[in-house]
Order: sequence, then structure tokens, then C-alpha cells
Amino acid sequence: MKHQLTRWPVRLGIGLIVPLFLFLWWQWQGSAHPSAFAPPAAVASALAELLRNGGLLRDTLATLERAFTGLAIGAPLGVAAGIAMGIWKPVDRLLGPLLHALRQVPMIGWLPLIGLWFGVGEGTELIVVSMSAFFPSMLNSHAGVAQVERRYLEVGGIYRFSTFQRIRFILLPAAMPLVMTGLTQALAFAWISTIGTELLTGAGAGLGVAMQAAQVQQRLDIMLVVISVTAILGFIINQLFRSLRQSLLRWQPAQS
Amino acid sequence: MMAGRHFPSGASVPRLRNLPVGAFAAPVLLLGAWQLACLTGLFPQQVLVPPSGVAKALADMAGSGELQRHVGDSLHRLLVGFAIGAVSGMIFGAALALSRLLDAALSPLFLTLWQVPVIAFVPLMVMFLGIDEPFKIAVVAIAAFFPMALATFDGIRGVPRNWFDVAKIYRLRLHQLVRRILLPATVPAVLTGLRISLTRAWVVLVAAELLAADSGIGQMMEMGRQLFQIDVVLAGVVVSGLIGFLLDRGARWVESRATRWRAA
Repeated sequence: MKHQLTRWPVRLGIGLIVPLFLFLWWQWQGSAHPSAFAPPAAVASALAELLRNGGLLRDTLATLERAFTGLAIGAPLGVAAGIAMGIWKPVDRLLGPLLHALRQVPMIGWLPLIGLWFGVGEGTELIVVSMSAFFPSMLNSHAGVAQVERRYLEVGGIYRFSTFQRIRFILLPAAMPLVMTGLTQALAFAWISTIGTELLTGAGAGLGVAMQAAQVQQRLDIMLVVISVTAILGFIINQLFRSLRQSLLRWQPAQS
Repeated sequence: MMAGRHFPSGASVPRLRNLPVGAFAAPVLLLGAWQLACLTGLFPQQVLVPPSGVAKALADMAGSGELQRHVGDSLHRLLVGFAIGAVSGMIFGAALALSRLLDAALSPLFLTLWQVPVIAFVPLMVMFLGIDEPFKIAVVAIAAFFPMALATFDGIRGVPRNWFDVAKIYRLRLHQLVRRILLPATVPAVLTGLRISLTRAWVVLVAAELLAADSGIGQMMEMGRQLFQIDVVLAGVVVSGLIGFLLDRGARWVESRATRWRAA
């Protein structure tokens, strides 16, 4: 039995049993109560409909744009802040307490306050998404710089490196793995908070908005399509970023 | 992560040393700057309420018992949902780690569902469960379930194979195996999983309360927003941040206490 289970066709077969069972149960439930429980065929036709009228493409692009704009704003700021705080103690003293205090609040919890300030709309969503990307970038970059091995800095000292050289040739490369970890987390956080803010504000287009609309209209079929798209996109983005990370950090020893 | 493990973090050492002064000076300065910015009219009252205003709002709400009700309801949901999610996650993770058959049968489904942000399940669950207590508890339970299951799974899979061989030689029964070997060996991973589950559960709960609730910290903020009560919204931000902070610190404290024997 044990030897059988390590073979992939066997594993795949066993792995499909439960989903298949769930699928049949869903089909059965769906045909018994079609109004409350959309059967697979209804989900497929909802998918076809959303693809035909372009709604799904529009919402997907809107969500992707929002997530990546937020990431593009929040992550570089976070990396810069983290590295600055790691290099210069005064910056850490000045910014650290404020940033660590702000970090304690669940990011989505900022939505009502920022909504009050800027109105419920695109700007508010972008701020929350950028903040979600900012904090993991900052924390990891800070840790990356703070953990640089002393002896590297000592070598730099012997060569009389200028501040710029010290940052460019020692601190940045040494902090790179953790900076990349931070960016990976920032990407995941930005993605999740994009969906969350879209759900809550319901402004414009987006997958979260579509989910919210489907819930209000009691359209389980549309909801399942949108959730699946969200899951698949999240998976693809993470995989792409992971391979990007590996190629950027190929000089690192394999195990870390 | 790996590179830094053997070297004490340079940044945290000096900070710890001057903890008494530094730890209080920064927040006090921060609050002072905030208060000053409001008093000098840099930010009008409708935009930012000074700390004293937030404190007053908190005191007022505490006086009327409103604050206690919101915090109590949120914590109750968190506790019940977290208990359900964490325990079932632990059992699920352990079952998958111990049985190759279960692993093969369930992990593809589990890993697929893991791709979906928990928050994306919220509208689906509102459809099935409505917006009452069961919905909020279910959201918290799901948020706690996944990290807990993964941490337990990794913890048990991290136990060296030959420890199981020893157990086999001693003919340990399943409950003995769990109690004598698995529990002590997986405590660190499971505690880390508990901490992550707890903080995730809190974040998701606040989001769920923002979306649909009649009480709770999230709902308090959302009502404050709709009524343009900046002080109430800010009070909610402060309280939710404080609770999140205390949950994380508390869990870290338990973690360091329970794994103290490992350091030696």
C-alpha cells in the first residue's frame, strides 16, 4: 500500500475521489433545489454568459489593476522605509513607533476612517491596498538590513566604503532575500485586501464588487464563478512571483 | 531567513537596552504631535479628532456600556470561532500527516481551497448562513482552520522518521504515540500556527463585522463612518489595533514560555 501511494497516478486518482464525490453531491443537490443551489451546469452557463458579455474580463482587469497599482505604490515605499530604518537609527526612532502602532490595526479596519476622509471610492481602496503592501515590505526589508553579517560591514570598513557603496554593495545584496520575501507577502496581502476592499466599498468594477452583487441578487452560480477566478488568479500570481524570486536569487544556496 | 538565524539581530539589542525611556518616549511624542496638530487647527475637527477627543469618545462609550458590548461581542465570536477552527484544523492536519491515504485523498482539495482568500468566502457564506452569529463564527473558524491545519501538518511531518520507528519498537498505541511523541515534538510548530491563526482570525472578523453585523468593533466603526463620527471611528481603530496587538503579544508570550526548554 505504502509503495503504491507514492506513485503519482495512484495519488492523483485518490486525490480526485473526494472532489468527485462532492461534485456528484452538488449536482444532486442542485437538481433537487435549483433555486437555492446552483447545479454545475448553471455555473458553467454563468461562466459562458460572463465571458460573452465581457463582465468577467472587465472585473478581473479592474481587480488586477487595483492590486498591482497598490503594490506599485506601497511596496517600493515599504522597502525604502524598511531599508532607511535599518541603516539609520534616527529614522528608525522617528518612524518606527508610528509605523508599528499603525501596523497593529487590521488593514481593512482602516477602511471606515479612510472612507470618511476621502469618500468611498477608488482612492480609498487604493490607499488601503497600498498600506497592505507597504507593511510586509517594510518589516522584511528592515529585518533584512538589520541582519547583515557584521563581518561584511567590517570588510567594507577596511575598504573605506562610502555610505553609498556600503548600501549598494553590502546592505542591499545581503538584504535581498528578505526583501523578496517581503515583496512576496506584499503581493499576497495586496491581492487579498483588494478583494476585501472591493467587497466592502462595492465601488466601480472588480471581482469583489461582482461577488457582492451576486450575493445581493442571490446568484450562487455567478458567485462560484467569481470565487474560482479569484482563487486561480491568486495561485497564478503567487507562482509567477515565486519563479521570479528564484531567478533573481539564483546566487543563493539552494536550501534557503 | 536562514542567513540571519545564527546572528543576533543588531537592531533589537540596543532598543531593548533603553526600553524604559525609549518605549514610552516615542508613543508620548506621537500622541503629543497628534494633539498639537489638532489644537493648532492644522486638521479641522471634522477631519481628525485629537487623542483627547478619542479618549472622551471611548470614555463615553464605556460609560454607556456600548464599548463593552461591542468588544465583548467581538471577542466572543473570536473565541468560539477560533476554538472550533483551531481544534478542527489541528485534527485535520494531524490526520493528514499521519495517514498517507488521507493525505492523498484530501490534500489536493485542501490546497485548492487554500488558494481562495478567506474574505472571498464571505459573500458566499452570507448567502447560506445569513448575517447572524453563525456566519461570523464560521468566518473566524475558517480563517483559523487553514493555518492551523498547515502548521500541525508541517509540525508532525517534521518529526524525524526514526522516532516513529522507536514508537513501533515499543509498540506504542496511537494515544500513547500522540501523547508521548507527537505532542511534545510538535508543540513549537502548533503554537506558531495558533498565533498565526489567532491574528488572521481577528483580521477577518473585523472585516466581516464591517460588512455585516449588528454589534462588534467592526460594526462600531462602520456605524461611526455612516454617521460621520470621526471620534467613534478612531476609537474603533485604536481598540481593534490594541486587541490585535494584545492577541499577538499574548500568543508570543505563551509560545516563548512553552518552548523555553528548546533554547537550552
